Amino acid sequence: MSPSLANRLRIGFAIGFAVLTAMAVIGVGRFIQQRQDFEDAVARSYQVEMGARVRLAHGDGNRQAAEATVAAQGERREELRDQISADTRDTTLLVAAGLIAGLTGALLLFSGLIASMRRPLEELVDAAGRLAGGDRSARVQVGGLSETATLGAAFNEMADELEQEASQRDRLDRLKDEFVLTASHELRSPLTSVQGFAELLMLERDTLTPKQVETVEIILDNCRHLVRLLNDLLDLARSDAGRLAITPAPTEVGRLVDDAVRTMRAQTETANQALTQSVEADLPPIDVEADRIRQILVNLLTNAHEYSPEGASIEVTARAIDAEVEIAVTDNGPGIPESQLEHIFERFVRGDAGLTQRVGGTGLGLAISKSLVELHGGKLEVDSTPGIGSTFSFRLPASSR
Amino acid sequence: MIRVLVADDSETILLLMRTRLELAGYEVETAADGQEVTELMQSGVPGELPDLLLLDAMMPRKSGIDALRELRAAGVDTPALIVSAHQDATDADAPSDLEVSGFVNKPIDFERLLDSIAELTS
Repeated sequence: MSPSLANRLRIGFAIGFAVLTAMAVIGVGRFIQQRQDFEDAVARSYQVEMGARVRLAHGDGNRQAAEATVAAQGERREELRDQISADTRDTTLLVAAGLIAGLTGALLLFSGLIASMRRPLEELVDAAGRLAGGDRSARVQVGGLSETATLGAAFNEMADELEQEASQRDRLDRLKDEFVLTASHELRSPLTSVQGFAELLMLERDTLTPKQVETVEIILDNCRHLVRLLNDLLDLARSDAGRLAITPAPTEVGRLVDDAVRTMRAQTETANQALTQSVEADLPPIDVEADRIRQILVNLLTNAHEYSPEGASIEVTARAIDAEVEIAVTDNGPGIPESQLEHIFERFVRGDAGLTQRVGGTGLGLAISKSLVELHGGKLEVDSTPGIGSTFSFRLPASSR
Repeated sequence: MIRVLVADDSETILLLMRTRLELAGYEVETAADGQEVTELMQSGVPGELPDLLLLDAMMPRKSGIDALRELRAAGVDTPALIVSAHQDATDADAPSDLEVSGFVNKPIDFERLLDSIAELTS
């Protein structure tokens, strides 16, 4: 059992108090005793002198002896006075020395206590800093006072629990990622069949009634939606697991924009939306994985298309800013309320329009686009004013090659 | 007529592939796993062997990859496409000794698949 701080303080105070009281009692007692002795001796001396003076006045006895006695008693009292002032000084010095010794002792005791707390506290502060910094193995070996030892043990227990929870969480995360990867993989075969047979039916659409054609088209639409969902989930699971990798190569921005716009053309035309592009001349190439940037642009364009009303305008722009290329998708749709802006990059978060209109998105597009832009060393940003429109943009460094 | 050997452990997929390829004018043989593929290729009459292999990457008993590895070791150089349920399997994933002619991702884009088959068997 380690000594406790409280007990040490108690003992320290008790010893200090006892020493100081003892010094005071001894000092004052001695002082009084010396004074008493002095006064007794002076009184006796006066008595003896008085006796001698009486004998002188009566003229009896040896006159010379009596005079000598009177003189001797005068000297004796001088001596006594010298003696008492010396004694008083000694006693005062003794008491002062005692007080100083007591105070010095108390000071040493307290500085000892502080020193014995300082090391454990420093160790705790250091370990807490490491733990907060993510070092889950941070532990302390604190002895000394029982309070710091208890604190150290509690810290270690807390760190143990944190470490256990963290490893449990890591395990669950891995399981989740594995699950998504496996599920997305396993769902592909049946999906292949459903989509494949629906396509087979469409190959013979001449033999189908319009109602049947419509039905098959709905099946195919939903197949495509499922594929998108599976691909998006897979991308996110890979991104979470740190396994979403890109193979960048110098790429012409104009071609990327062309491809994305071409992919979206049919859909925007159906909605009577004007899809335009404005790519600055002489843009430097960027180091990217072309498929991934196309995926981002198609995601952004799909959102602009689906959330904007019929007849809206959508524009893709690309321009050079210093050594970077900024690509932006702007629409004059309904815009995004400020309260939703900070959440739109989260998973499965969809704008109000997505809940009310027929919007085919998965709610994962922006989350994936954000990860993909970041994987390329950029940042996906949004600027939106309700009633005016939205702009999603990102900048990527120009290729150094 | 051009012969295509399709291997997949799902009967539904085999039926789909057979129907789609036959519609496009190919003669289709099927196998349920890699073991059947190697047996067919080794016991087949020369001249009546498939002109193209369409192998699922993951099958019980023997995978398409393992079957192809055995065939290549035995000197069979028939062009082969690997069907993969991995979203973005690419040619770069294939061991170079397999001489894979290409990857087909599930769900299958049949127009692209038919283009590849036509190109490989022309």
